[in-house]
Amino acid sequence: MSFAIRQRQGRARSPLFLTLCCLPALSLTCIPLFYVLSRSAEIGWEGSVEEIFRRRTFDLLVNTLVLGCCVTAGAATVGTSVAWCVEKTELPARSLWRVIVSLPLAVPAFISSYAWSSFDASLQTMGGAIFILTLSTYPLVYLPVAAAFRGMDSTYEDVSRSLGKGPWETFFRASLPQVRPALGVGSLLVLTHMFAEFGALAFLRVQTFTTAIFDSFELEFDSRSAALQSLVLILLCLPAAYGEMRLRTGGRTVRSGKGVRRPDAFVRLGWRTVPVQLALAVLLVFALAVPMAILCYWLSVGLSAGNGLSDIDDAVYGSLSLAIPGAVIVVVLALPVVLLSSRHTGGVSRMADRLPYVIHGLPGLVVALALVFVSIHYASALYQTYAVLMAAYAILYLPLAQSALRSSIALVPSSLEELARGLGRGPLSAFMSITLPNILPGIGAGLALVALELMRELTSTLMLAPIGVTTLATEVWSHTNDTEYAAAAPFAAMLVVVSAVPTYVFTRRGTKGADIE
Amino acid sequence: MSSAVAAGAILSTPFVKTSWAADETLVLYNGQHAQTTKALVEAFKKATGITVDARKGSSSQLANQIIEEGAASPADLFYSEESPPVATLAEKGLLSPIAKATLSQIPKEYHAKDGTWLGASSRCRVVAYNKDMIDAGKLPGSVLDFATSAWKDKVGFVPTSGAFQEQIIAIEILKGRDAALAWLKGLKENGKIYNGNGAALKAVENGDVATALINNYYWFSLAKENGEDKMKSALHYVGHQDPGALITVSAAGILKSSKKQETAQKFVEFMVSADGQQAIADSVAEYPVREGIKSPYKLLPFKEIGAPAVTPADLGDAADALALRREAGLA
Repeated sequence: MSFAIRQRQGRARSPLFLTLCCLPALSLTCIPLFYVLSRSAEIGWEGSVEEIFRRRTFDLLVNTLVLGCCVTAGAATVGTSVAWCVEKTELPARSLWRVIVSLPLAVPAFISSYAWSSFDASLQTMGGAIFILTLSTYPLVYLPVAAAFRGMDSTYEDVSRSLGKGPWETFFRASLPQVRPALGVGSLLVLTHMFAEFGALAFLRVQTFTTAIFDSFELEFDSRSAALQSLVLILLCLPAAYGEMRLRTGGRTVRSGKGVRRPDAFVRLGWRTVPVQLALAVLLVFALAVPMAILCYWLSVGLSAGNGLSDIDDAVYGSLSLAIPGAVIVVVLALPVVLLSSRHTGGVSRMADRLPYVIHGLPGLVVALALVFVSIHYASALYQTYAVLMAAYAILYLPLAQSALRSSIALVPSSLEELARGLGRGPLSAFMSITLPNILPGIGAGLALVALELMRELTSTLMLAPIGVTTLATEVWSHTNDTEYAAAAPFAAMLVVVSAVPTYVFTRRGTKGADIE
Repeated sequence: MSSAVAAGAILSTPFVKTSWAADETLVLYNGQHAQTTKALVEAFKKATGITVDARKGSSSQLANQIIEEGAASPADLFYSEESPPVATLAEKGLLSPIAKATLSQIPKEYHAKDGTWLGASSRCRVVAYNKDMIDAGKLPGSVLDFATSAWKDKVGFVPTSGAFQEQIIAIEILKGRDAALAWLKGLKENGKIYNGNGAALKAVENGDVATALINNYYWFSLAKENGEDKMKSALHYVGHQDPGALITVSAAGILKSSKKQETAQKFVEFMVSADGQQAIADSVAEYPVREGIKSPYKLLPFKEIGAPAVTPADLGDAADALALRREAGLA
């Protein structure tokens, strides 16, 4: 039996080594920031005021905020509920659910918005956009929160129950506070993601700030106006990132006691097993089956069925050979950032921790063009090689890895590492033997989350991949762009199926080694 | 295990360019429909033995990419689904002049006045309408009529599409700036905004909206996919020199920064040759720009379009369209 404590961890000054390890991530993140600032500056003060203070800007801002806030609230609720059902209850076939509920993230936005807009024209409005985007983004909350549930100590819940508290109160007073860091970062992820969303709005009649940025690029070829508009998105992300950080710096909840994590006590569902399974099934019908149904429809009516099918092997290989190394690189870059920011205070720590979230609110096109500009002028030998593409992936998806890692790292008491150090272990050895085994759920969730996003990444891949490299996402785009919907269907279906592989491997591994032995 | 696989995958991928492509290989940034370019590139290879590697993307994104790349661009050629992105590159001084002998193969209204780009195929603006919702006879004789309360919620349009910008400019040229502005304001008031041409046509097919202002080839692409007999929509050609019957082109240019100018000239020359034009005409429902090439699609004969006297060269990069859209509150 161990006792639950809430403790404020010692936040020592950051060690130089760890700070240095954060620099790659930090400097990469600065690239789009530098690009956006320098391009915006070209417009000048007067031009900026004129550009920004227009009625149209205000309308778009309102749309962006409504979409962002509503989808975030929806995704936080759905993501947390699903994570609790999957990780904390006696749900039959848990490992199967665990994978399937993550997959809506792999469905290309184009397909889900096409599917839903086909069912009912009334979904082509703001309400429809909120509904559709909630369904496709809740895994951004689900994966970090599920990792936190997996890594948390159920002692709190035992205590709560032994005090005679009911299941709801136990959830809100004992379980939820432990996953609060994960929920916070997951929600921030959804919010900034919504600021940058574009593809999903193609079939919905909703315009946001990001659609206006695309306008500037696509019709005016004016990267300065686009940069200025992007700057507004960055300013929108700032208070959200700051607010999330404030929420988190309150009490910290860590595992305690002898250092042995009690095996999970799952909540017995009893008669509720069927309703819970039914609810999950309904969610998946909406989030996964409806988009998949549209693929079947395309296949059944489309005359282009089978076109380009011989390219599917290359596309599968292309997708996996970009997504898996990409996910590993992003997680490796994010790890020191999260370690630094959860254990130590300081300017670098705060910057490295927050900046990627702020950049996450930028449309992918802006990030890709920033990399085109910087790499061709300062590292032309690397232009359109995997190196720059991986850098783009890191800039785009660092926060996903951070969110997943943070929840796990927050649950490991730093006193354990200090104990190991006190016993004569070096910092690296203490990390490898104490911290690493304990944050495996977070690492697994981070890899899964980033791999899922990379599977469907399009803009950077099109611009920065070596010429001739195709992925499932680029082929889906290419065929749908040519109105060959039936030809696109197998590629899209394969995209979802192949996405299950990294998700299965990474989230499964995460269940083991979660105990401090 | 998975980390070992991942590490292997990282090590096996080329992180730095190890060798430069053979001299005779051209790099084409392609915004035109992938099948069309594939057919053209294959025909070119067959005729000349020269390989062309294509980078896919949307036309405007590729143009933005080329602008950022500047003098260091790896691209030799740019082939765009519509002409304004190419015209923008020309305006920024990024394109080389195309050989006079090549330009003389096509009518002069289909290439830039300074000869920096040429149209590779043409199409016209049309009105797509849902056959169950509206009688063809009730459709107006001018695209300007759609901007009236009689068409409230019955017309879909895509204010952000490239061809829509060109249509705004055509109205400005033919009827004056005030008319163009009034048209935009009327559409904003009465029309339904869609975020893409595909979405607008899909809405007509679904019966969400009775009509939509699009380009002819979107309908032919969908008809090819769904089967012509299953189409719920049909095309209305506005005709009689109305801006609603505007002709626009897909276009191509040679990058000034290319180190393979001569080879690139060969490709552009091939594009407007009989073989090149046939390859294009066979793969997309657009009109060839060269006389004597037959399209396998059931296109309205070119002479019956009744196109207005505004040429792709007049439209340029359609920059003024934005100012007009802003005044109308559409941007």
